[in-house]
Amino acid sequence: MLQNFLLNILLTLVWVALTGELNYTNFGFGFTVGFLLLWFLNRRRTSNHDYFLRVPKIFAFMFNFLYDMIRANIEVTIDVITPNYNMKPGIVKYEMDAKSDFEITMLANMIALTPGTVVIDISKDKRYMFIHAMYLKDIEGFKRNLKDRTEKKLLEIIR
Amino acid sequence: MDVETYLVYVVMPIICLSMIIVLARLIKGPQIVDRVIALDLLITIGVGFIAVFSIITNNYNFLDVAMILALIAFLSTVAFAYYLYKSKKND
Amino acid sequence: MTDILIMILSTLGALFILVASVGIYKMPDFYSRLSVTIKAATLGIGAILIASALFFAEFSVTTKTISIIFFLFLTAPVAGYLIGKVAYVNGTKLWKHSIIDEMKDDPDSFCTQVKEKEEEVLPKSESKK
Repeated sequence: MLQNFLLNILLTLVWVALTGELNYTNFGFGFTVGFLLLWFLNRRRTSNHDYFLRVPKIFAFMFNFLYDMIRANIEVTIDVITPNYNMKPGIVKYEMDAKSDFEITMLANMIALTPGTVVIDISKDKRYMFIHAMYLKDIEGFKRNLKDRTEKKLLEIIR
Repeated sequence: MDVETYLVYVVMPIICLSMIIVLARLIKGPQIVDRVIALDLLITIGVGFIAVFSIITNNYNFLDVAMILALIAFLSTVAFAYYLYKSKKND
Repeated sequence: MTDILIMILSTLGALFILVASVGIYKMPDFYSRLSVTIKAATLGIGAILIASALFFAEFSVTTKTISIIFFLFLTAPVAGYLIGKVAYVNGTKLWKHSIIDEMKDDPDSFCTQVKEKEEEVLPKSESKK
């Protein structure tokens, strides 16, 4: 995992040094070329495949998160522009699967960056999270959606 | 149409208008926490203002100021939160 | 081509900022104000900063811009969390039409623990007097 990542960085640096153009497009292209090269060389060794599955997942998660964020932003925008409120706010107690401090921090950041939801409190034993949500059509559906769409995918990447 | 002209006549007025609206909330805010988040938002809008200004004047050194301002916004909000918490505790 | 992209990104960012500021003026209670402002403003600032990175198209400027965006995305949720928690401890009310509050009188919550501690402390100090 870590070994593959460092090799990929090394290949990127070699690519940038050889082409001699110091900009981000070149960095990205070098990283892609190094990634594909390492993947091609390691295609037979199944024990080493963790890294090559993880990197596409990270990019898929980032785009998915960006899509969620923009969609929720549009929802809030409609509520702000129209004169009357169509929101149903409330505080929800949510049991999370994330255990360590780093996982909880990432999850709280993800929740806070989607509009309409804010983390207010985390319990002492780090099992529950109190979330203020603005659009609570049904509470169980909100919790399930959060667990399936955000938390499971985040933990797949981090762990 | 030039980029600078467009920014001066379209984007800059929108940002200034939103700053005025946030200022109204900062003056009006019924509680002190409302004022704190209004101040935080005002500084965050200031970062965007500086970024647009650096495009208009074609001088990227202003982005340093934006970076420092973003740092200070976070610090001030945390300091205010800590102060409010402590003052509640010592009541 | 780049000019059009810069115009679109900066207009989008300015509109997001405008929505955030109208939201902070219009929303009825503190928590919905908090949840409207942080993200819309962060997204708007991100769009404007990307536009400035595209305009200058220089390595150091792009690095600076990316560091500002990264910093904003990292710190804005933390600040929002802190100020929201302090507001709840200080007794800011929810909106009057809000449907549920599972945090009130919940034994796991940190805020209710603070309140219980105060209630424990207060009678002792009165008895001392």
